[in-house]
Amino acid sequence: MLTLFLLLPVTGAVLSLFLPEEKQHDAKWIALVFSGAAFAVSVVVFALFNASVPGYQFVNTFEWIAASDAGFRIRYTVGVDGLSAPLVLLLGLLSVVSVLVSWRIEVKAKQYFAWLLFMETAVAGVFLSLDLIQFFLFWELELLPMFMLISQWGSGRRLYSATKFLIYTLAGSAFMLVGFLVLGATAGTFDIAELTAKPVTQAVVPLTFVFWAIMLAFLVKLPTFPVHTWLPDAHTDAPTAVSVMLAGVLLKMGGYGIIRIALPLLPQQAHDSRLILASLAGFSVLWGAVITLRQTDLKRLVAYSSVSHMGYVLLGVSAMGSLGLSGAAMQMFTHGTITGLLFVVVGLIYDRTHTREISQMSGLMHRMPVVGTVFVIAGLASLGLPGMSGFVAEMTTFLGSLDAHPVATAAGIFGVVLSAGYILWTVQRVLHGPATDRWKELTDATSWWEVTAMASLVFVILAVGIYPALLTTAVQAGIAPIAQIMEGVS
Amino acid sequence: MLLPHIPEAAVWAIYAAPLISFLVIVVALRTRPLLAGRFTIGAIGVAWLLAMWALDTSIGLGGEPAAFHPHHWLTLFKLDVEFGLRLDGLSAVMIAVVTSISLLVQIYSTGYMAGDGGYARFFAFMSLFTMSMLGLVMASSLLQLFIHWELVGLTSYLLIGFWFHRPSAAAAAKKAFIVTRFGDFGFMLAVVLIWVKTGTFDIAEINHLAHAGEIAVPVLTGFVLGLFAGAAGKSAQFPLHFWLPDAMEGPTPVSSIVHSATMVAAGVYLLLRFFGAVEAAPEGVRTTIAFVGAFTAIFAASMGIVATDIKRVLAYSTISQLGYMVMAIGLGGYVAAIFHLFTHAFFKSLLFQGAGSLSHATNTFEMPLMGGLRKAMPITYWTFLIGSLSLSGVFPLAGFWSKDEILADAWNHNILLWLIGTAVAFMTALYMFRAIFLTFFGDYKGGAEPEHGSHGGHASHPHESPASMVAPLLILTVGAIFFGFFNVGGMFGHFVEGALAPELRHFEFEVNPVVLVVSTVAALAGIGVAAAIYYAQRPQSSVIRGALGPIPGVVEHLYYVNEIAEDGVVRGLLLGVGKLAAAFDKYVVDGIVNGIGQATRLVGSGLRLTITGQQQAYSSLYVLGVVVAVGALFVLGGGILERLAP
Repeated sequence: MLTLFLLLPVTGAVLSLFLPEEKQHDAKWIALVFSGAAFAVSVVVFALFNASVPGYQFVNTFEWIAASDAGFRIRYTVGVDGLSAPLVLLLGLLSVVSVLVSWRIEVKAKQYFAWLLFMETAVAGVFLSLDLIQFFLFWELELLPMFMLISQWGSGRRLYSATKFLIYTLAGSAFMLVGFLVLGATAGTFDIAELTAKPVTQAVVPLTFVFWAIMLAFLVKLPTFPVHTWLPDAHTDAPTAVSVMLAGVLLKMGGYGIIRIALPLLPQQAHDSRLILASLAGFSVLWGAVITLRQTDLKRLVAYSSVSHMGYVLLGVSAMGSLGLSGAAMQMFTHGTITGLLFVVVGLIYDRTHTREISQMSGLMHRMPVVGTVFVIAGLASLGLPGMSGFVAEMTTFLGSLDAHPVATAAGIFGVVLSAGYILWTVQRVLHGPATDRWKELTDATSWWEVTAMASLVFVILAVGIYPALLTTAVQAGIAPIAQIMEGVS
Repeated sequence: MLLPHIPEAAVWAIYAAPLISFLVIVVALRTRPLLAGRFTIGAIGVAWLLAMWALDTSIGLGGEPAAFHPHHWLTLFKLDVEFGLRLDGLSAVMIAVVTSISLLVQIYSTGYMAGDGGYARFFAFMSLFTMSMLGLVMASSLLQLFIHWELVGLTSYLLIGFWFHRPSAAAAAKKAFIVTRFGDFGFMLAVVLIWVKTGTFDIAEINHLAHAGEIAVPVLTGFVLGLFAGAAGKSAQFPLHFWLPDAMEGPTPVSSIVHSATMVAAGVYLLLRFFGAVEAAPEGVRTTIAFVGAFTAIFAASMGIVATDIKRVLAYSTISQLGYMVMAIGLGGYVAAIFHLFTHAFFKSLLFQGAGSLSHATNTFEMPLMGGLRKAMPITYWTFLIGSLSLSGVFPLAGFWSKDEILADAWNHNILLWLIGTAVAFMTALYMFRAIFLTFFGDYKGGAEPEHGSHGGHASHPHESPASMVAPLLILTVGAIFFGFFNVGGMFGHFVEGALAPELRHFEFEVNPVVLVVSTVAALAGIGVAAAIYYAQRPQSSVIRGALGPIPGVVEHLYYVNEIAEDGVVRGLLLGVGKLAAAFDKYVVDGIVNGIGQATRLVGSGLRLTITGQQQAYSSLYVLGVVVAVGALFVLGGGILERLAP
């Protein structure tokens, strides 16, 4: 089942590359069918996921590189637990959404959709891998489609931004590989479950170094201050669909890696670093928020708000208890839907106005009531309004982190206040005000692909906000074993 | 007492009725505005009937909480959030007030908003507001209360910015939300703190633990101060008061319910709901609350005297009266605070609707453009006059009884606060009768031209408003006259005290002759001074202005609070820090990254020849690269591993 999820998008990618040149606009249909099928699989996986069964489910495995005489082996193993199941669902959903918002891509359409689908497979591999080396390969595999999509289909300084993204991530993952090799070599296995059951306690290099080597890659991806500056550039110059995927699922690879690998594999070292992590988290929340306040470019604004909001993930992690980790896991899911939706809406506005400068816009609500309304809904979700998913995640995070890190938590709560500032100020400048002549030709988003993209995300945001058990049942099952390890450390 | 005990489902239905109205309008009635208005009135009418049933049940229970069991909403590890209903003397009164005023305001709105392009949207938002407000007052859990608290804030934002094409309305809406959010920073901290320390969100449980001394003093202090910060934002207490006058940009029916009678009272309600905790908090905390309230009362009243926009006069009056209630809570005057909240809701809603009726006729809220409307609008005049007398605390109207309750508490506990309260009573009568003389007496100054695009304005020829607007005025007037009698003898007081733990019930109805006489004299003096200046014009207001030097100017600039908040805190501090942080990102962080990039480029220039721009070439190179990388890893990795493996 999970292998199917992994292979569907890449199959679509290959198929679309085989399209004859004159039929390349059919690539979007191929992309929709294959990402749609993958989404259907992810829904089935999430629905059939049994939260009362411990461990990984839907596991597929086979021996890939057997070198048991050397004391290790590398296997292809995929499986989900309560931590990854929501992220797989999120990936399935956002992939469909990003295909939909790309409906009008004309330039080199078949390559575009092929890269997009290929990226889905790569990210899926990260969330599904139960083996460190396999995890690392998929982690690296995701870079190329990102680089190509930004540098080929982006705007502005796209090559600079794409390269920056590449260098940042590669620098991080080089250290990650070293960390993985040390762990694998010491324990004689790369199997995440085995490494979790018997954490490495001693190696040739200090484990603190190993921990930070691994964390660096994840913190870059998250991103957290001071390794975050690739994000605003990448977002600003990326096409809409790539921004949706980047904010929606790619950043989650960082948070996922921390919770899946860095914490359970090196619990003692993680525990010893919790104060540093909490400080980084609180600082990132505020740093991102105050910079967001003064952004003049709509996409850059949403990008910086992501830096702030992903700080909550790290805040929850740094508490290293069941609630904080759950909050972090929930925040990853909810941020994916909320910020994904914000980028969808911003993209729809940009498609029509051909500018992202906030000062150029005014009174768009009069011409685009649907887009405007969805913008307001996404904005309210982003500022943590109850009834929407973001509130549940943030509240859970704070409840989990206050005892361990009161100052960082207070900083996080103040970030919620600031988020109201930048969101509502943006709404006022972009949507409110009198109707202007300049924008009287604008059309609203009413075509089926636009409406479906927006409606599906609004639905998820409200559903989780009103009935959080949809998400928390799985999250609790996934977090419980990890929290148990972390709470056992002192 | 008259009816059987209300079942839990019927209480939930009070909450659900406006929610259903909202959903039905959004889904089906967007293009059928008249039906949307009627549907809202019907739904809220049902809610009102059920609210009366709930009130009846609660009276039967003597105000003691009805036994309803909470329901699980979110269960996650040790976190167990339950939602339930709290029906007791306090919430029964609030439910009755909210549904009554909401019903009357919806009826009023069918006249006031007639012809507005956003008619259906207006009723959808009003329904959502009513639901949120009811959810707030019925909540049995702190988190449930907080959720509705935020939803109330949202609907307030949507309704203030209802005419979002006006830049001033859009700005006011944003300001209201953000300023109250600053207060909510404290509230959220309090919510998180109390759960972390006690493991419960249940309001009754928290009050009980606080009262039993089972919450450490620093925690309790932080909790109560956090609640108070939230209350100060919502109930517009200094220094978070300055959003409320701007909120008058919303349609007047909104001001009449959201920004006078109900939502802004939510902060006061919050403190009353946690009265057990407030009472258990250290003396200093309660004194702080009392003095912030008293200062707000007199500070806002001074601005009410100089405002020229009649809705702003009423807004400052609201802030001032809320200050009274907050002061009462700080003094331990639980009953006095609720009772004033209760009577104030009726006469202030009445006054706002009167102001709306005036602008319906004149197209303006500027009092210097009105005048002499007494004859053209007799019902508006008489109801407004009665509302003003009630607010001023003239015997035997409703405001007299409730205000005296507060002043008597002050007299018993803190003579300084009593003096401030009495001065406020004088100022209240002064600004209200200044408003009456400027609008209803003298010559008509011609009003203003109708604004294009807003609600259906008429050419400015003063006339009485339609029946849909006048009828609610008359009904509310009944409340403004008679509702003070509910507590004569202490019936109301004993009922609302049923919500408290038995040890905290010590209300006794008393008449303090000194307080009574002094406050009545103060009120009459205020009316007299207003009559002298604004009716007889002896002395003329310009003479007094001259005599006071720079003071009126400072007050007219609202003590420069807006400038301090917007230019100082927001532009100076927040945006300034943002600018520095952005510069740091750009020059320091990116400087380092780009430096590394430059070095890499030197190496990369050698590899440039491979960049051909062909997708196929990239793809095949990529696949090749992956194969090489995997192979290298295997060989190299294997090599390392063999050496390291145990």
